[in-house]
Amino acid sequence: MKKRFFGVFLVFSLFVVHVFSLTIGVTQIVEHPALDAVFEGLKEELSDMDLVYDHQIAQGSFQNATQIAKKFNNDSDLIVAIATPSAQAAANSIKNKPIVFTAVTDPVAAGLIPKMGLNSGNIVGISDMLPVELHMNLIKKYFPEAKNIGLLFNTGEINSKKIVELANKYSEELGLNTIEISGSNINELITGINSRSDEVDIFYLFTDNLVASSIELLSEKMKEKKIPVISGDIDIAKASSVIGFGFDYKSLGIETGKIVRRIINGEKISEIESTFMPGNALLLYLNLERAKAFNLNIPDELIDNADIIE
Amino acid sequence: MDIISIFEQGLIASLAALGVFISFRVIDLPDLTPDGSYVLGAAVTISLLYANVLLPFAILLGALASGIAGLFTAFLYNKFNMHSLLASILIMTMLYSINLRIMDGPNISVPKESYGEEVIYEEQTKLDFLFEDTNNTESLVSNELQKNENFTKVFSIDIYFLLFISSIIIFLLYLLFKTEFGLALRGFGNNKEGIKNLGMNPNIFSYTGLFLGNFFPGLAGGFFAIYSGFSDVNMGQGIVVSSLAAVIIGEIVLGKLNILYNLLCAFIGGIIYQFVIALVMKYGYKIGFNPGDMKLLTSIFIILMIGLRNEEVKKWLSLKRLKSFIIRAR
Repeated sequence: MKKRFFGVFLVFSLFVVHVFSLTIGVTQIVEHPALDAVFEGLKEELSDMDLVYDHQIAQGSFQNATQIAKKFNNDSDLIVAIATPSAQAAANSIKNKPIVFTAVTDPVAAGLIPKMGLNSGNIVGISDMLPVELHMNLIKKYFPEAKNIGLLFNTGEINSKKIVELANKYSEELGLNTIEISGSNINELITGINSRSDEVDIFYLFTDNLVASSIELLSEKMKEKKIPVISGDIDIAKASSVIGFGFDYKSLGIETGKIVRRIINGEKISEIESTFMPGNALLLYLNLERAKAFNLNIPDELIDNADIIE
Repeated sequence: MDIISIFEQGLIASLAALGVFISFRVIDLPDLTPDGSYVLGAAVTISLLYANVLLPFAILLGALASGIAGLFTAFLYNKFNMHSLLASILIMTMLYSINLRIMDGPNISVPKESYGEEVIYEEQTKLDFLFEDTNNTESLVSNELQKNENFTKVFSIDIYFLLFISSIIIFLLYLLFKTEFGLALRGFGNNKEGIKNLGMNPNIFSYTGLFLGNFFPGLAGGFFAIYSGFSDVNMGQGIVVSSLAAVIIGEIVLGKLNILYNLLCAFIGGIIYQFVIALVMKYGYKIGFNPGDMKLLTSIFIILMIGLRNEEVKKWLSLKRLKSFIIRAR
């Protein structure tokens, strides 16, 4: 009798938990430090709320991503989609529930929203686009001898393609060359570096997942070849760069959490703007030790504005 | 659980499984090309939509392109005497680059309405003061909403449509395998030398088999791209493995009776496989599994299914044994 009572109590308590707290479905395409950090930031920002998270990772399978989206369409109250393919799958399957996308560089080309800013529909979110023009200007101004910028990226990532396009455009405007070194896995990338790094004066690294996950190895390579690195991602910058200006993915998760909070508090999707990372959330990282190794003088105007100096 | 949508996805996956069934089981040539041709089907389908081709034709042409990729695998197999695995790995690898070219990038969404805006970071940052002259924040947004009118959904990919298409395909394949040519095709799978003794050219059969074995994954890719709204260069990863698992599950459930049952195997197996994944997703995290354990759980389930078919295991699980076990326990 006691056991039965306990069983009923257990079922009832599960039921209660599910009735009185909102379920946030988090769909993510693949397990990856940067993307996991987004989820961490999201949880941190919303830690004061009573929420149930259903975190599903598609293991790199796009069929699974679609199935996760269909599942969330039934049993979640709000969907957070991390990275482009998961967001696309969610956008196509879920029409009546709010979707917040994050870590999507170009949501317009991905077909998520018709434009940045206010949109009607059930989708809103935050783009992880980088200030590429600013980065190119930084290179031009503080590395005046550098003429050839090496871009390292994964050919299979749509987010990187957009940034490479912009980097090509702005570096051309500034009279610089870009050298694209790409691969679909780390071996191809290393081969690319070995064969073409002689032409490269400076490497520009950005939010590419492949680069992020193999940054330790890549930074060793660059140290070996004595090529300085400037980066648009703080986590990558810490491991490899002289100058880094951008954000880390945890703070992207926190910004995403703020949008989720506004929706939970009753704001309509059509009243919330799809934005970039806010300008004041971007951090400037400087590494004086590496700068010394390359005989670079970091000017005071940068040091005055730096958030992290190592 | 949304049973209908699991069925829909299962049916789409079954089409890929059907292709794998033809290459692995009917003509007995292990073929990994579907990992690439699945994406090729999706890529061609969506790219053609941008070029004002009607949806049904776009999907059909996508599937044909995938079939042609299979012909190339067969060409390597026949002309260069390569093992079909090596030939298919080479073609699959080539298709990765070709798909990138076709989509002009790693990911492409179905044509949707947009303002033709270029997404550029426009926030003010604290370093802007260093580069006063270059900071142009003129907006590139045009006010006109560009609707891609060439993409009008002629038919929706729902369960009825998929059931209709699947039954037509099963019927046509059943007819094909009943003809003299189809019988020879199956004969080729059983005994490649025997076909030569009958005075037939075995090359024809490998070409046909590998064409069909990639045509259907391409069709599945096209359907999936429309169904999920995009095509991505990595979406073919693991298609052959999961399709093979589906075929094996189907064979366990239905047994190897005749060709009609064998064709149904792919479909039954594909649907069961999707249900397994859905179950793992739904209940896995409630009993404390990480999201990362999903592949482990689905594989364990499949091993269990195959294991349970084993006669030894069946005997071990038989009621008599269970009864005697309970009696002994008492």
